[in-house]
Amino acid sequence: MKIREEKQGEVLIYALEGEVNINTSPELRKAFDKIIREGQKKVIVDFSEISYIDSSGLATLIEMYQRLKKNGGRLRLCAMGEKVRSVFEITKLVKLFEIFPNLTEALEGF
Amino acid sequence: MKISEKIPSSLERIPSFISTIIERIRPLGIPEEEIFNIRLSLEEALVNAVKYGNKLDPQLTVEVKVQLDSDKLVIEVKDQGEGFDFEKLEDPTKEENIEKVRGRGIFLMKNLMDEVIFKEKGSRVIMIKFLRREA
Repeated sequence: MKIREEKQGEVLIYALEGEVNINTSPELRKAFDKIIREGQKKVIVDFSEISYIDSSGLATLIEMYQRLKKNGGRLRLCAMGEKVRSVFEITKLVKLFEIFPNLTEALEGF
Repeated sequence: MKISEKIPSSLERIPSFISTIIERIRPLGIPEEEIFNIRLSLEEALVNAVKYGNKLDPQLTVEVKVQLDSDKLVIEVKDQGEGFDFEKLEDPTKEENIEKVRGRGIFLMKNLMDEVIFKEKGSRVIMIKFLRREA
């Protein structure tokens, strides 16, 4: 999995590429640790290049959601493909996360 | 088609092992939308077996059997652990559980496969997917 980082104003965008699975989730957790250390408050994770996510990936995102919330920050997710989105729908995590169809909409009003 | 393999209790080995299984069944006419579901269910079952069943003990192995018939795919994953109480699983979609970090693996397996059966106190899981084969 690759992570591309981009800043737009106060918003940090993490564009992921590849798969979020049992092997790559720890890398994502480390990257999220850095965001928390740096005190970022507004974070968007862009899923447009992500083809697969498992429960370890969901767990990593829930942890990040909680850590950001605790620090007064917010996490938005965007641009999920149909299969990846179905994992969030089955687990009803669509109710927990703010999920947007694309990056432009995720940035609006953030 | 039948596959029978034993893998060591190593989380790192799971994705590459699953890739080899998927590459063997993909050409046999399983619709692509089902491949994602089968792959995710197999990964969740293997992670449970390695991490919670065998407790990452390198001396223990996980046995995987895959059988593809004309109308169904049957996957069996067996660890060497003591099992668990599979009848006392919480629903991760309930409001009080939705922010819990863990507890979605078996829920995903049950939702993505047509049947999930636990045997031997939960140390053996059988997952079945009924297939609409593509020509």
